[in-house]
Amino acid sequence: MAARVTLALFLVFMALAPLLVPEFYVTLMNYIGMATLVTLGLVLLTGVVGVMSFGQQAFTGLAAYTTAVLTTVYGVSPWVTLFAALALTAALALTLGFITLRLSGHYLAISTIAWGIAIYFVFGNLEILGRYSGLDNIPPVSLFGWALDTGRESYYLIWIMTLAALIAARNLLDSRSGRAIRALRFRSVMAESYGVDTAMLKIIVFLYAALLAGVSGWLYAHYLRFVAPHGFGVNAGIDYLFMAVVGGASHVWGAVIGASLLTLLREWLNDLLPKLFQRTGNYEIVVFGVLMMLLLHRTRDGLAPVFARLLPAGPGRARPAEAPALARREQPQSGEALLEVRAAQKQFGGLVAVGNLSFEMKSGEILGLIGPNGAGKSTVFNLITGVLRADEGEIRFRGERIDRHPTKEIAARGICRTFQHVNLVSAMSVLDNVALGAHLRGRRGTVAAMLRRDRAEEAQLLAEAARQIDRVGLGSHLFEPAGSLPLGQQRVVEIARALCGDPLLLLLDEPAAGLRYGEKSALAELLRRLRAEGTSILLVEHDMEFVMGLVDRLVVMDFGEKLAEGLPLEIQTNPAVVEAYLGGIE
Amino acid sequence: MSFDIVLWLVQDGIVNGAIYALLALALLLVFAVTRAIFVPQGEFISYAALSLALLQAGKLPGTVYVLVGGGAIAALLDIAVALRDKAPGRLPRILAVYVLLPLAMAGIAWWAAPRKLDMWIQVLIVFGLVVPLGPILYRVAYRPLAGASVLVLFIISMAAHYVLTGLGLVFFGGEGLRSQAFSGAHFKIGVLNISAQSVLVVLATVLIMASLWLFFEHSIYGKALRATAINRVGARLVGIPAELSGSLALTLAAFIGAVSGVLIAPITTIYYDTGFLIGLKGFVGAILGGMGSYPLAAIGAVGVGLLESFSSFWASAFKESIVFTIIIPVLVWRSLTTRHVEDEEE
Amino acid sequence: MNRRLLAALALAGAFAATAASAEITVGVSLGSTGPGSSLGIPYKNAFQLVPKTLGGEPVKYIILDDQSKPDEAAKNARKFVTEDKVDAMMGSNGVPSAVAMIQVAAENKTPMIALTPVPPLSPDRLHWTFVVPQPTELMMSAVVEHLKAHGAKSVGYIGFSDTWGDLVHNALQSLAPAGGFKIITNERYARADTSVTGQVLKIMAANPDVVVVGGSGTGGALPQIALRERGYKGAIYHNHGTVNLAFIKVGGKAVEGAIAPTGALIVAEELPASFPTKKVSLDFVKRYESSFGAGSRNAFAGYSYDGVALLNAAVPVALKKAKPGTPEFREALRAALENVKNIIGTHGVYNMSASNHNGLDDRGRVLVDVSNGQWRLMK
Repeated sequence: MAARVTLALFLVFMALAPLLVPEFYVTLMNYIGMATLVTLGLVLLTGVVGVMSFGQQAFTGLAAYTTAVLTTVYGVSPWVTLFAALALTAALALTLGFITLRLSGHYLAISTIAWGIAIYFVFGNLEILGRYSGLDNIPPVSLFGWALDTGRESYYLIWIMTLAALIAARNLLDSRSGRAIRALRFRSVMAESYGVDTAMLKIIVFLYAALLAGVSGWLYAHYLRFVAPHGFGVNAGIDYLFMAVVGGASHVWGAVIGASLLTLLREWLNDLLPKLFQRTGNYEIVVFGVLMMLLLHRTRDGLAPVFARLLPAGPGRARPAEAPALARREQPQSGEALLEVRAAQKQFGGLVAVGNLSFEMKSGEILGLIGPNGAGKSTVFNLITGVLRADEGEIRFRGERIDRHPTKEIAARGICRTFQHVNLVSAMSVLDNVALGAHLRGRRGTVAAMLRRDRAEEAQLLAEAARQIDRVGLGSHLFEPAGSLPLGQQRVVEIARALCGDPLLLLLDEPAAGLRYGEKSALAELLRRLRAEGTSILLVEHDMEFVMGLVDRLVVMDFGEKLAEGLPLEIQTNPAVVEAYLGGIE
Repeated sequence: MSFDIVLWLVQDGIVNGAIYALLALALLLVFAVTRAIFVPQGEFISYAALSLALLQAGKLPGTVYVLVGGGAIAALLDIAVALRDKAPGRLPRILAVYVLLPLAMAGIAWWAAPRKLDMWIQVLIVFGLVVPLGPILYRVAYRPLAGASVLVLFIISMAAHYVLTGLGLVFFGGEGLRSQAFSGAHFKIGVLNISAQSVLVVLATVLIMASLWLFFEHSIYGKALRATAINRVGARLVGIPAELSGSLALTLAAFIGAVSGVLIAPITTIYYDTGFLIGLKGFVGAILGGMGSYPLAAIGAVGVGLLESFSSFWASAFKESIVFTIIIPVLVWRSLTTRHVEDEEE
Repeated sequence: MNRRLLAALALAGAFAATAASAEITVGVSLGSTGPGSSLGIPYKNAFQLVPKTLGGEPVKYIILDDQSKPDEAAKNARKFVTEDKVDAMMGSNGVPSAVAMIQVAAENKTPMIALTPVPPLSPDRLHWTFVVPQPTELMMSAVVEHLKAHGAKSVGYIGFSDTWGDLVHNALQSLAPAGGFKIITNERYARADTSVTGQVLKIMAANPDVVVVGGSGTGGALPQIALRERGYKGAIYHNHGTVNLAFIKVGGKAVEGAIAPTGALIVAEELPASFPTKKVSLDFVKRYESSFGAGSRNAFAGYSYDGVALLNAAVPVALKKAKPGTPEFREALRAALENVKNIIGTHGVYNMSASNHNGLDDRGRVLVDVSNGQWRLMK
């Protein structure tokens, strides 16, 4: 509620600002608006997804030049060129995105610098783009014959677009796709395991960021009414990144804060310092650099979190309302062959992690997979879920061979997992983390999310997530950041997330580690209930008491190979198993 | 294109590439130890080159003000910490490192400047002025942010770059300078006419690479740096403080920067802001080398130098466009052949 | 964004605006930082030497840095017209920045004194703009006359990869038919490049009779040094952006014999007593060097000074029609600027007309060459 009031106040202020502030501040706010658009793209791309881009000015420039050439040389209306500019920007972004987004970390960052520099010299050397002098005399945008050629008129054009982009971005992050986007940076393997097409989603975010930069470029051309390559050099790209970080790179409103702070600060320094140092040199950039250092030393996450603390704390989010349940998968008949692993083999260099491993699982059973540390149990999980590809052998799920499918397609067949090392998005709430498990049970995409056309489905997803959180007993922690829970409870959150995926087969990697006695028995009870509902469970666990009381059968691994298989009682007395455990490090 | 021209271009590319290679080494070193993309490396080059040129002109370089002022700020920061920790025993060392040493260097430079001493002594003075800027910069800019994300460290690097170029403009002015060559000699090899200065550049690069290798393999500090580069937490657990490693890395980087600056000053005109673009190309070289291996980074940097040399012959107006466009497919190839699956650390 | 702060600023701005209208206000935007700073700084220095009055009225110069970026220059220009309500604007040292200011000046009907040569402008832009420096064609025509007299038939060109490089090349191109020569290379380099070996090899391979360099300041020295190192024997010409002492300091022996066109002030002492600008040029150069050091003279500071001289001549005429700070005054000032006659500046004699908003003639240029480490007037 408080957030809404703040937003409403902000919007009222923005609407009235041109009437209240002097003309030059309208000019500054126009610059801020244009910078905010580009910076917002970087907040999503760099702050949220973790793709460092130094090259957004390339998109700004391309759009600005497109509209400049079309309007001055061919006399096309700016409203038509908006679409032309965005189409070209999209084409460039998709080309660059498909080539470079698959690059890892530094390669990607340097490739953004590379295209940023390359395009600057292309702008500067093309005759049709006016070479280094650029193009001037670009017409202003007009609306029903009314030219928006003053600062105040342009203000509304710029800020309506900027606010729309901000709200769309906020909506996007608060949605089914948004949860997946927020997982891309640190948790892309997990996201794939829940059916997220991470590569596609990265491209979409990249495209959105590029289009925002394109809109900014279009506004730039028609507001300043000239374009020259110097506005689109690599320093401009770094400036946008600066704004994003100073504002708070993972917060949508950080874009506004960063763009405002940098623009205003530079302006004030430019005004003030020459008065202090009458004639000796230019200290603006020095003082600016020093202030930025002090700021980041105080708050390395940027200013947005600081501002957020200043706002009055609201009553908090309400528990999701009940909503119609999501459709469920049809469970296979109990006893049907569910999972077959046949002679699976996986080597890392010379080390055999999994060697010639075969076992089967029937529907409706709980199978325990045990063995000393380093026996290859987690590797088996990674082979089944497609995170790793088996060197040899095959894996079948309900008779269908799945070992050559990508992770997200295996997830779509109803296999949900937890991770040995907790794999939650720690800054995201427990509710959102769990709702991510239901990713494949929703359909609404990014555009629907931006336009808020996804609310009915979103309510269903959140209600389902809340139900699963209640079920594992964490109902009082819905809105806490997942990273703030004790490690044992984080494991339980992982189980809730897996349940949210409506699994046929649940892969649990050490779910009881870090739990207290009472919590363990509650977990065991939950797993039994799931089995009764027809869910099959493959369980890796070290706590023998927990395992023996729960599982139907056991497979024991040692040094990547199957050591024994059978009922719990048989395994407990198997001499080879006893030898492996007592003789081993465990 | 005749064979002569090819030879000339190769020679030019190798000399420029050698400078980029030195930068690539420094950037790689700092990145491995601190995770910072060390943009201000370029400023060390400019400061060293311009200081040398000014000393040769008999003028006191403005670097002394940066050194003394920066040292004073670093000292104040450390003294504040020492007082808060109630450890006055640290004060003499702080004053010696951050106040007395810079003042002594400034004093020597002030005394030496009008006397126009022998060139090698001037070079030593330049080292004395530029190298201490490394640890001072680490203390003032980076140490408060140890462990921050690569993005935040990059932005801090940019802020430091702004401060240093801004001061460079104030103290050195906007026009470029050039220093005298160490030797005016030329060697004739076939059609090539190779200057002793360019031979010196390549030799110095090779020498520095070799000594870095010895340092990392055989000295305790070198091993500590390597350990930190490989595993920060582990290094701290066995008692290697991250601050020491960071400070050491920046000292080495400043030294390499000073060497590059002194070497390049007689070959080309250096401006207060030249360092940025040279640094960028060194960075590209380091990345092409995979941001992990020193010899590969050097090869990558020489590759950039050659590419630049040839494209400035073919189509000089599009030189940077060509260099940076060709880099993208190379990056794709490098990225696909060195595979990472893990997610970024949170 | 803090509303209270903005409101306070609004108030302060309002006061500033009312206070300013009592005197003449001139907004100056210069790239005193960024890549253009080597030119921007001398442009800015000159404002310490200009009189405190214009046409007898007190004047306030508001000098802002545009970091050599056109969008910053446009922002400064908007600030001048909206907040400071300036009567005229001056700037900038970068061509794109000046073009950006011209745009704002035309939109807001404010006289604009461009301190750098600009590309051809549309009539509505030109209406409000007056250009102080010699047109590049005028300057390069001196070079062309010289090389023609010495029988050069082929010219190799190497220039900056920026507007300046383009301007010099275009001027040379337009003069080529009359000069009877061909431009056989068009090589480009950047000020910060560490080597021009590739470009120079290409020029050597083409083997032109003479080479023209389109650089500025010390940046112009790099190609000449490389050409001489590779044994190029032909004459090497520069342009009016190159002429300062730093160029010779950097180039040393290699730039001996370099020829360049420039305004008269660079060689003020050597001018014949009859030269119209001798007194003004000499006086300015002396004052400049006493403030900024011996040998610090340069063409750029002269442009700032001449721009002020133009305003100084036009303001008294405009004052008869309207009060400063009003649109009427700005229109009157524009009209007066368009009609200034025989104004002697440091660079030459200005005679404006509706069709010529520069007004310099052959008296605005001399040829100089480097001999014995000095720029000397060529006889």
